[in-house]
Amino acid sequence: MPIEFKKNRAIFRDEATVEEAEGLLEWLQTRPSAKADLSACTHIHTANVQVLMAARTGIASWPKDAELSAWLEPAFKSRG
Amino acid sequence: MKSSPVNPLPPNPLLDQFLSEARDLLENTGKKLMQLEDAPTDKSILDELFRCVHTLKGNSGLFTFPEMTRVLHAGEDLLGMVRSGHAAYSRELADQLLEAMDLVGAICGDIESSEQIDPSRAAESKFMTEALRKLMPNTVPSAAPSSGLDAAPLTVANSTGSPANVPHSGLSAVPEAVRLAAFQQCRRGDPLHWIAYRPERECFFHGDDPLNSARHTPGLIWGRIVELAPLPPLAELDTYSCLLGFELLSSAPREELDQYYRYLPDQVEITAVPAQELLSGQTDADGAKEASSTVNPIRSISGDDRIALEEILAAQRQILLLDDRPLWHAGRLKAVAEVLANLCQATGETSARADIQAALAEDLSTGHNTLLLAWLDAHKGTDTGLSGLSGTSETAGAVHDAEGSRVDPLPGNGPGTPRTNEGVNFGRRADDDPNGIKFGRRAEDAVGGPKSLKVDQAKIDRLMNLIGELVVSKNGLPYLAERAESQFGVRELSREIKGQYSIINRIADEMQDAIMQVRMMAVSFVFQRFPRLVRDISRKLGKEVQLVLEGEQTEADKNIIESLADPLMHIVRNSLDHGLETPDVRIAAGKPAAGKLTIRAAQEADRVVIEIVDDGKGIDPAAIKQKAYEKGIIDEATLERISDQEATNLIFAAGLSTAAVISDLSGRGVGMDVVRSAVEKINGSVVLQSEVGKGTTIRISLPLSMAVTQVMIVESDGQLFGVPMDHVIETVRVPRSAVHAIKQSETAVLRGRVVPLKSLNSLLGIAAIPKANSDDELAVLLVQAGSAELGLLVDGFQETIGIIQKPLGGFLSNLSSYSGSALMGDGSVLMILNLREIV
Repeated sequence: MPIEFKKNRAIFRDEATVEEAEGLLEWLQTRPSAKADLSACTHIHTANVQVLMAARTGIASWPKDAELSAWLEPAFKSRG
Repeated sequence: MKSSPVNPLPPNPLLDQFLSEARDLLENTGKKLMQLEDAPTDKSILDELFRCVHTLKGNSGLFTFPEMTRVLHAGEDLLGMVRSGHAAYSRELADQLLEAMDLVGAICGDIESSEQIDPSRAAESKFMTEALRKLMPNTVPSAAPSSGLDAAPLTVANSTGSPANVPHSGLSAVPEAVRLAAFQQCRRGDPLHWIAYRPERECFFHGDDPLNSARHTPGLIWGRIVELAPLPPLAELDTYSCLLGFELLSSAPREELDQYYRYLPDQVEITAVPAQELLSGQTDADGAKEASSTVNPIRSISGDDRIALEEILAAQRQILLLDDRPLWHAGRLKAVAEVLANLCQATGETSARADIQAALAEDLSTGHNTLLLAWLDAHKGTDTGLSGLSGTSETAGAVHDAEGSRVDPLPGNGPGTPRTNEGVNFGRRADDDPNGIKFGRRAEDAVGGPKSLKVDQAKIDRLMNLIGELVVSKNGLPYLAERAESQFGVRELSREIKGQYSIINRIADEMQDAIMQVRMMAVSFVFQRFPRLVRDISRKLGKEVQLVLEGEQTEADKNIIESLADPLMHIVRNSLDHGLETPDVRIAAGKPAAGKLTIRAAQEADRVVIEIVDDGKGIDPAAIKQKAYEKGIIDEATLERISDQEATNLIFAAGLSTAAVISDLSGRGVGMDVVRSAVEKINGSVVLQSEVGKGTTIRISLPLSMAVTQVMIVESDGQLFGVPMDHVIETVRVPRSAVHAIKQSETAVLRGRVVPLKSLNSLLGIAAIPKANSDDELAVLLVQAGSAELGLLVDGFQETIGIIQKPLGGFLSNLSSYSGSALMGDGSVLMILNLREIV
């Protein structure tokens, strides 16, 4: 599974595809304070980004992939 | 979407079929559009038209031709709206659709010739798609910039108003370090492009991952995610509706970016970024009011970038220190001043601009560089290098746009507007058409065309050559039979061989006939382009023309039909340009305002006759005669002598153009003589009849097939020659006593006419006199050579045979006396005389 759902943390690994988005959305809806761990993530589908941004999910750790991180960090931070 | 940058097309039978079908469909589409023009309310034509475009679109979707599919999709949508009555049929609409079909045809041509679509087609296709969509009511994509074809950057200076029109307002969001690095890259000559990528909402369904596409954009320097629309609360969020967009800065060339985003040209907006804009950030007047907290980029730059700026200054200094004074010295000074002024603006030192301008003006008038140099030196002084430049910075922030103004909801891409992207929708079926138009395409298609095989012409040609060889080798059997009898004395065997021969002969003849049938094509192949041609030309000339096509089903060999195309086109153009008058002239002459142009084809015996008839002003024989005389085509005696009919046919003479005014249609000197030579090349003839004030008729007569030529074999001085039957009028035996000599030439009276006689031997340079038969009669072959009749004296006549004429190759091709050669049954070679040359 590209996304592993722990108690209050979603851990992203490798590539998070569009199929994950629906599940991620449902999961986040019930856990407003959940955080996402993107450190092992290499790519994350736009749909997932959108869900995370809309949910204002806190990011526990940014992707190790610096390039991906450069995309995501400003986007999430600008939402506060 | 993971789009491969280049799409190589392997040889593909499916593709071949698609292309050949596409041609048919395009032709049909053009035809239907033309018909619709005459009967705009005819529902059945409209349905047929829609079906054509729809099928074509569907087929193109099987391949990765987004450029083509997109245009066709727009065309289909437009036609769908016309069908449902939401849009009105108009001439403009027809024009646009015809042009769109031309583009599709051109793309087909690209694919055929190079198996790849020219990258520039993407822009054309986008432009065309927008033009088509503009014709649709209520769906004008107002916010979409129409800069599809316009590669020139939309600079901030000429774009006014809403932020959507300001392409680089996001530049201020780019971190300064990145911006300066990009600036350096730009200075090295790399292009720089700003890409606003706004994926359509449904893009996830097409398998697109915009972030992935953005991440892999070629030459990516920087990019960010923006919200196209405010993200709704989590409970209302639709996971599968894309609300994010991207802004990217890339150093890839425009073509590469176009190629990369070829599937989504309507979702990306690519604009070139001038280098200076990187430094000055946003100079937009509106943006200037909203001073942001962005700090002066120059002051906070890192060491590397500072070096870059120092380099710029040093370069300007060097330029100023050059002591040559070329012609462009003034331009050079202006350039330096401009650079300095821009640098000052970048640093916010706007007041320095006036100083620079003053220095420039002074230097320009004196022709020295002293003042500019002094200014530069004065401002460079300190070791921090740039502190002098960035002295006053309170205005710095004013030139930068407020950051938040960039993110705007994407207009025109809501769920209610029709989708403009079709490129990646290969799997779609007619049933999911967004307009809800449903019909069983497959079933209806089957009703349409006749059962036919599409075969490559080369295969047919090969088959024909083989049959030709069979015909030749079968002709060897009678010789064999004769030898069996005379040489070996086996009469029985000889008879059996002859029996077998007659069977093979019959089959070979039938095969030949069959292959001819296969090669037969209806003249409609050529005719079908005329409605469009006539329509375009007549509109250009401001004339009204009613085109009548008759006998389109008349058939002839493919080569004949194809070589007919250009001469016919020329004649039709001529008729439109010179023949038919403008409506007011016609009305004044008591004719209907609309001229009538009839193109008629019919089969007469073994020839196809094509007539082009117009009811225009006709050709004045006197004018032609005078012109021909002036140009030295005819002499004075001829001028007096020739009949009007002959005179009008002088327009086929080389170098005679009667056009008083040279237009872009005709009158360029390549006149009707080209027509005649083209027609004669395929053994045809062309005759013109004209009556002043009534109109002109041009009659072209062509053989049905070029493949087999009927020749009569004649004997002269023990050699055999072939004479094409087209030229043979009759064969007669004339008693030697009936031949009279008039001056040096011999003549004979045949059927009450005096016919000049010439010996074939003398024409070919053979030193032998024609032989007479036992009754002292000479064999005369009466032939038509050009416009004159001539009696050819030969030794004897033999049979008429059908031969497959082969052109003479190599050195022999210089022998103009012969038009070709053919192989006889006994293996000997028959030379075919070229009567036009030898007479």
